[in-house]
Amino acid sequence: MPFRQREPLLWLTVVLLAVTGFWWAGRSREPRPAPGRTVISWYVIISPLRDLYTAEVAAFEKLHPGIEVHIFWVPGTEYNVKLKTLAAAHQLPDLFFSGDVWLSYLLPFSRDLTPLVRRDAAEFGLDDYFPAIRRAMQLDGKDYILPEYLNLSLLYFNRRMFAAAGVPEPTAEWTWDDLVRAGQALTHDGRDGSPPVWGSSRVEGWWGEWLIYVRQAGGKAFSPDGRRCLLDSPAAIAGLRFYLEKSSRYHFSAPAGFEPLNGFVNQRVAMIVGGHVNYWLNYNQTPGLDWDVQLLPAGPGSRSGGELAIAGYSISRESRHPEEAWALAKFLTRPEAIASIVARGSLSVRRSVAEAALRQPGPRANPHNLAAAYRQFEFGEPIPHHPNYVEIMFLVVQPEIDRMLLGELSPAAAGRRAAAAANAFMDTFGSATP
Amino acid sequence: MTHRRAQSLWFWMFAGPAVAGFAAFSLWPMLESLWLSFCQYEVVTPPRFIGLQNYAYLFAHDASFWPSVKVTLVFTVIQLPLAVGAALALALLLNQPVRGRGFWRAVYFLPSILPQAVFAVVFGYIFQADGGLLNRLLALGGLHGAAWTTSPTWALPVLIGISLWGFGYPMVIFLGGLQNVPRELYEAAHIDGAGAWARFRHVTLPLISPVIFFNVVMGVIGALKVFDLAYAFSVAQAQPAPGGPARATLFYGLNLYQQAFGYFHMGLASAMAWLLFVCILLITAVNFRVGRRWVHYGD
Repeated sequence: MPFRQREPLLWLTVVLLAVTGFWWAGRSREPRPAPGRTVISWYVIISPLRDLYTAEVAAFEKLHPGIEVHIFWVPGTEYNVKLKTLAAAHQLPDLFFSGDVWLSYLLPFSRDLTPLVRRDAAEFGLDDYFPAIRRAMQLDGKDYILPEYLNLSLLYFNRRMFAAAGVPEPTAEWTWDDLVRAGQALTHDGRDGSPPVWGSSRVEGWWGEWLIYVRQAGGKAFSPDGRRCLLDSPAAIAGLRFYLEKSSRYHFSAPAGFEPLNGFVNQRVAMIVGGHVNYWLNYNQTPGLDWDVQLLPAGPGSRSGGELAIAGYSISRESRHPEEAWALAKFLTRPEAIASIVARGSLSVRRSVAEAALRQPGPRANPHNLAAAYRQFEFGEPIPHHPNYVEIMFLVVQPEIDRMLLGELSPAAAGRRAAAAANAFMDTFGSATP
Repeated sequence: MTHRRAQSLWFWMFAGPAVAGFAAFSLWPMLESLWLSFCQYEVVTPPRFIGLQNYAYLFAHDASFWPSVKVTLVFTVIQLPLAVGAALALALLLNQPVRGRGFWRAVYFLPSILPQAVFAVVFGYIFQADGGLLNRLLALGGLHGAAWTTSPTWALPVLIGISLWGFGYPMVIFLGGLQNVPRELYEAAHIDGAGAWARFRHVTLPLISPVIFFNVVMGVIGALKVFDLAYAFSVAQAQPAPGGPARATLFYGLNLYQQAFGYFHMGLASAMAWLLFVCILLITAVNFRVGRRWVHYGD
């Protein structure tokens, strides 16, 4: 065959190959739903609760034969990146994890759940949520999250270490002074060659602990209108100073950078100020760790200031099946489901489940003083609802706090520099009502 | 059809897919990122043209931009001579006629086949302040080890040390260069009374200068783009935000990644990417210019 005749054939082959390749690469690999069934997608953070969620979905599908749930497991560290990438591609899942810390950030693609919440309030028991949780569910009076679990800052302590040192266990009346006294009595600095044991851990690298002291000293991270960072106020600086002096003056926390790895679990740290409810499961799985909780010690300005954060479910603004996704969200947050999570070691967002847990603590040993944990609700404060909160705190503020801990800056200088940098950021990227 | 046209058609038949792939997946995204660098683009909303504001913010207001530039430059200036020097020294040793030379070459190359992330994790544990292997060894000798990975003073030097384990590839390239040096030149130099140093200085170095130049150029580009090592190091240290402590390991590439995929400031990140591109281009051009003075291609 002469080339002139072959030429169109060759071009056709190339084009066909290219089209086939693109089709093959881009074709959907999703299994097709059974006829008459609606498929909804749910992106879940990989956690020790995986088996529980799998069982919940199976139970949900049994109850709703017309709905098929596709679960996608995503590592926690990648979750928000994954979500926003999917949002950019207009491929958001119908249901996804959200929380008040991320709510402002996730707002552009979160559905306003207010009409659904109002419509079904009696059915799913809106009144069953603690008032503090109910407040955290909303932004500007609108509902965006159906809560499943929460984090609450508490004072964690190792009962065995307290008993061994002959130090009375923390009480609800403790102040910072009591914390310092007990912390010092529990500290062994390791000068004899043994590994050092510290009265209290110090959470470094994020706001988990220092923001508690700032608030308890009477300070705030942001002004009420969210337009200014207030870490340069005298009260905030006093809070930062206490955070620093736990090691530099009172010597009951490890110097910066020398915090023992998993110190509380390894029983080289006797107390944690703040902590995280997520770790209860790990604590209860650690042999020989007899731990308990108490209200946070009161600061000079207030007892309030510990974090109260919620996490739960939001529905995508682009979801084509919001009713089905809403049904799944309600199912996952019904009292029985919350009770299953609480039984693994957690606090309840629902009053009915909390009351049941207090009446009958269940098989887990700790914490003994569960009542104190629920009482701390009164003193918990939400994270400011600022769309750039996480970014400002990590990228702009935290490096100055790190430098303070390392002795490069005084608390006053760290507060001033952090506030100035945060305000410059907000002047550029805009501010929002927290 | 003319022969020339037929040749042209065959050329595009073979090169077409590669050219199309480059245009679709490299060139177009690059041009798109150039456009985005003049926009405010947070992914979930359409890009909005803001002129040079991203660049102005980076230079004048961004709290992390200049620290990340400084970290990257310090790393490049210190790590590059050490990495090239170590690779050359080992190549010289492994070029000697010793028993089991092939075995030793394989042994020294072995670390390079591991990803940098693995080194970051393993050495992260070795350098751990509390309970790390190094500090435990120091304690046996009565010494109090530093907070190697969690102090801003030590974190970057530790990362530089860890990065040196990637000497295998430049070492192999040096070995190739060394094996191409004609033996007659060494013999002639020896007859002329040149000692070992003089032979190295006046024979080896000039003849492997193209290889040194190649390793330096690639090393500079690699050092300016460091990401995986720093990211894995942050993860291994369980840093809530990469680049700590106190931005001591906030490399430019890591900062760019954070802006792009941590906080979705795609416009800002695109501006950072283009600044890095221009910077690498300029430094490479300077390298080529300066290279003319000391690189001998034997023609």
